Parts: sequence; C-alpha cells; structure tokens
Amino acid sequence: MHQGIAFRTALLITGTTGDAEEAAQDAFVKGFRALRRFRTERPFRPWLLAIVANEARNRRRSASRRQGLELRAATEIRPGDAAPSPEAAALRDERRQLLLRAVDGLPAEQRLVVGCRYFLDLSEAETATTLGIRTGTVKSRLARALERLREEVPADV
Amino acid sequence: MSDLDRDLRDLAAAIDFPATPDLSARVRGRLAQPERVQPYRWVAIAVAVAVLAVSVGLAVPDARTAIFRLFHVGSVSISFVERLPEVQPGRPLDLGEPISPTEAPFRLLHSELLGAPDTVYRRGGIVTLLYGTRERVRLLVTQIPASGFTPEIGKKLAATGTRVEFVEIAGSPGPGVWITGRPHLVSLPGGPARLASNTLIWQRGPLTIRIEGAATIAQATRIAESLT
Repeated sequence: MHQGIAFRTALLITGTTGDAEEAAQDAFVKGFRALRRFRTERPFRPWLLAIVANEARNRRRSASRRQGLELRAATEIRPGDAAPSPEAAALRDERRQLLLRAVDGLPAEQRLVVGCRYFLDLSEAETATTLGIRTGTVKSRLARALERLREEVPADV
Repeated sequence: MSDLDRDLRDLAAAIDFPATPDLSARVRGRLAQPERVQPYRWVAIAVAVAVLAVSVGLAVPDARTAIFRLFHVGSVSISFVERLPEVQPGRPLDLGEPISPTEAPFRLLHSELLGAPDTVYRRGGIVTLLYGTRERVRLLVTQIPASGFTPEIGKKLAATGTRVEFVEIAGSPGPGVWITGRPHLVSLPGGPARLASNTLIWQRGPLTIRIEGAATIAQATRIAESLT
C-alpha cells in the first residue's frame, strides 16, 4: 500500500526511475527486516519513507552526477478541469513547466523539502522524519525555497 | 494561500509521475532469501540514524545543542552533541527500587565471572545489577528489555573528548559500543540524567545491556561475553 509514495519519494531524491525503483525495493526489504526497531506509537509511513530516502541518497551519492528530475507536468486537460481557452491553457502549461524547472534547479536540500511538501503531499512532521531533519529546518528550507521560486518565476509570467 | 502556493499545488496535481513499478513480487522474493549477516551492520546503523535523527527528541535535560551524530544500539540511542546539558553533580546514585533477583520482570543474565551482585534494582522494566555500593560503585550491569515496541529508550549524550569504539561481542547481532574518555551523560526512563564513566553497550537477544565501570575494553568484553 506504500509502494507509490515510496517510489515517488525515491524518485525525488535519485532523479531517475531506475535508481528510484531499486532504492524503493531495497528500502522495503530493509524496512521489513528492521520492523522490530519500529515503535508502534510512531506513524509508520514516515518511518518507512526515511529508510527509502536513505537508500535513495546512497544511490544518488554513488551515481556520478544527479540527473534532472524525470518528471514532467501534464499538458493535457484532465477530466474535470474547467475548459480554459487555448491561450489560457497554453499559459498555464508554460507556467507549470517553468515552475517545475525552477524547482528542479533548487539546491537539493530545498528541492527535497518542496518535493515532499507539495509533490508528495507529506505533512511538515512527515517531511522532517523522511528527510531526517527537524520540523523547524523543514520550515526554514521551505521558506527559502519559496522565496527563490518567487524570484525565478514571478507571478506575472 | 499565496499565488506560488496555489501554483505549486496546481503543478503537483499535474505532475506526471512515472507509474510505480510492482515492487512486491521482487521484495517478497528477496525476503524469502536468508539475510546476509554482516559482522558490522553499518547499513542497519545508517538506517537507524536516518530514522532516529528526528524521531528521538532528546528528553534529557534541555539539550538544545547541535547534534553531530546519532546512532542506536538496541534500545539506547547515542548522540554526539556540541556540549552536554548541566546535571546536578554529587547526587546519590538512583537506580530505582531494590528488589530480589527473582522479582525481575524477565530472566536476568548473570555472569559467573562476576558472581552475584551486591544489590539488584528495578525501575520500570529496567533492571540494574550493582556490584559494590551506591556510594562506591565497582560495576553496574543494566539490562533493558529491548522490545522494539516499547517506548522506553535509554539516551546517551557524548560531547567532545568522549571516545566511541565499535567492538564485536560474541552473541550480539550487531557491534557493541565502548564509550570512554570524558564522562558522558546517560538517561534511562524514570531516572535522573547523570554522568557516566566507561560504558559498554550491546544487544543480546531481546535485551540491550550496558556495563558501566569496567577499566578496559578487554575487561568489559570479557564480562559481556560471560553473561548468560
């Protein structure tokens, strides 16, 4: 049940689907074997994601250079969207692509916090546990990241 | 909600994450294979570091100081901090209530090398064998039931000048840790934080055990391996 979020967490860190898949797989194996260290009063998902993140970081370190996120923002109109005018749709898509590139260009520590909070929809506490940092650090990194994104992708673009 | 916040949420909803591959079959296949035994389980320690770096708030006296490293032996976490919080010096050693060894909540490990302890203390689920007296301690052997499902966790804080070495203990699933040098701070559930001298910590089955007061690593290891 945690496969999707585990894979996407690994993908945020490694940047490639192949590494992400292997990292997630290793994390499930290690997580399962480490279950006796898991404390039931703590939420399971961030505990597992912390193992995933650790595996993913190990793979990223061993890769010669981090590649850009293998992500793209959908450009097609999804069911349920209000039908925008072609111009509005094109503008919106362009803005999404710009924003995605800007996120990808953030320093790794900021990119990961943005990724966890927005792309994975993790809470501040979950993000902190997953990345092995304090919630205060999550807040400050997110604030710096948003400031930088505001500069790089002004609202009127 | 700011424009940027809204835009990021909009982007998140539009992101085309690659489909998640089916991991379960391969994970099940790998779990069916026996676990590789590593003499020093650095991997496990690395995972524990990642897991615990955040989840263990330091409950010992307000330790708002930079944590350099943190790792975990059984149910004891060991953190390296910039400076130790202050503790009240000269307190009489408080190990809990004295009990008869038969009143221990689990089967105690005993050492033929050491013989019977002078006093056995219990605090919560934790049992300490005292050799000597509380005023003149020769050795302490603390046995902590290390069920991964109890919130009880011992904490140690070490600062500059405290040395930590990994040491192999026969019968332990991972390396033991030998802490020497400047006194470090130990805190066990229910008891006051205090400074501790040379300590060896390791795991034996469901117990995490700490021996405090041995003079050398060789002596500590010999005592550790004599516990049955």
